[in-house]
Amino acid sequence: MLQQWVQYFPDMMKGVLITLKLTGSSLVVALVFGFILALMRLSTSKTLNLIGTWYIEIVRAVPVLVIIFLAYYSLGNILTLSGFTAAVVSLGAFYATQYGEIFRGAILGVDKGQTEAASALGMPSRTIMRKVILPQAFFTILPPATNQLSNLIKDTSLVFTIGISDLMFQAYSAASNNFLPLDMLLEAGVIYFVFYLVLSKLLARWELNVQRSRS
Amino acid sequence: MSNEVVVSIRNLTKRFGKTVVFEDVSLDVHRSEVVAIVGPSGAGKSTLIRCVNRLHPFDEGSLQVLNHQLNKGSQFPSKQVLNDIRTRVGMVFQTFNLFPHLSVLENVILAPIEVKKVPRKQAIQQAMELLDMVGLSEHANKYPKRMSGGQQQRVAIARALAMEPEIMLFDEPTSMLDPELVGEVLDAIQRLAKDGMTLMLVTHEMQFAKEVADTVVIMADHRIIEKGPSREVLENPRTGRAQAFLKRVLNPVHATELEREVAVGHGGGR
Ligand SMILES: Nc1ncnc2c1ncn2[C@@H]1O[C@H](COP(=O)(O)OP(=O)(O)OP(=O)(O)O)[C@@H](O)[C@H]1O
Ligand SMILES: [Mg+2]
Repeated sequence: MLQQWVQYFPDMMKGVLITLKLTGSSLVVALVFGFILALMRLSTSKTLNLIGTWYIEIVRAVPVLVIIFLAYYSLGNILTLSGFTAAVVSLGAFYATQYGEIFRGAILGVDKGQTEAASALGMPSRTIMRKVILPQAFFTILPPATNQLSNLIKDTSLVFTIGISDLMFQAYSAASNNFLPLDMLLEAGVIYFVFYLVLSKLLARWELNVQRSRS
Repeated sequence: MSNEVVVSIRNLTKRFGKTVVFEDVSLDVHRSEVVAIVGPSGAGKSTLIRCVNRLHPFDEGSLQVLNHQLNKGSQFPSKQVLNDIRTRVGMVFQTFNLFPHLSVLENVILAPIEVKKVPRKQAIQQAMELLDMVGLSEHANKYPKRMSGGQQQRVAIARALAMEPEIMLFDEPTSMLDPELVGEVLDAIQRLAKDGMTLMLVTHEMQFAKEVADTVVIMADHRIIEKGPSREVLENPRTGRAQAFLKRVLNPVHATELEREVAVGHGGGR
């Protein structure tokens, strides 16, 4: 039994690499797009506000798998997106709603006096955001953002349905070779767990370092 | 005090929605003049000085700041005008509002570097001089939360001065401080006054206003009820409303009686 675990381990590692790439790319898309959504919802323009709000309300209510299929089978056909790109776009589009709300809450949570003090010093709003608001929002953002990252990692496993050879895909195909689905899925589960554990520990250490550097 | 008017407030009216904060307020501030604004809570003192650096828009009247005419309404002035006003008018807040994620030194150099594009080295040198002036150069690398309120407020003063403003606005700079820390902040403000800085200062420190200010303005009931040379206004106020207010701040325990009489005499109080 253990021999089967060992035998398919290299394949699983190939899958982890894809999962890692997928997580990283989707996260970047989600963070950038999420930040834009947050700015839209915080803007004084009624139109931008409405677009941002509706996007978030609609997209976060749709199951991720539905979005992945939509992107792959409709958008993918029209624009001839690769499976990987379709997956990054869908995961990014979905998680942007989550990160957008996290950013918005954190930005609103920073004391209004901070913006006033910075404005009174002549700083333009971009500088205020970059140098005053976001560095303070950091600690409010990190815990829920780490949380969402764990969801994102797990949701990357959905992309095996459109034929991307991620970790889940490898576990699935190993199981169809050796007829040991329980073992192979368990092995994949353990790897997902270790993957997340390492990432969250790294993020926690980052938080601690920033905290130390500011006291 | 020179003859040059640097802030000219004419018939200014400010509302929040339908509530009138103040109405028909007029005031000229000259270069190097120290103007103290006093008055009961809710009179609109903070709101008035916040109009000067355009943290708030106003609804009626006209406002000229350093040769820039500010228009009424919520439309912001052009970027250049706003930037020019905000760099030449400094502000110190009741709650200090230091940037908690930055050290004292970083608090002071941030705006000169980001807004005025002063080279970092030069900004640091200037910041250290300012911190020295407010007696805090030894604390340059501390973070605000590790300092007393009085120290934080002195850092806030240095931070505002780092932009080399021509006018400084103070909004009750000592009212959040423990009594024993008030003096150190007032000393720093007095030093600025001596050096010829133009000051608009909202305060409840009547003795300080009397000694340091050239002009005292009393705001109450949504308007300026009295203004003039500080000693005159504070020692011999003409209107009953001003007398009642001053009696109450100078002698808080026994004055409520008179206040009530005057309020009734004016056809109802607040
Ligand atoms: N952002 C705002 N929105 C609505 N009303 C406001 C706002 N800011 C101030 N006000 C109202 O305007 C009035 C004047 O407020 P302001 O802070 O200028 O008074 P103040 O004279 O500075 O009083 P204090 O001595 O308490 O600081 C108050 O009645 C206050 O409730
Ligand atoms: Mg006030």
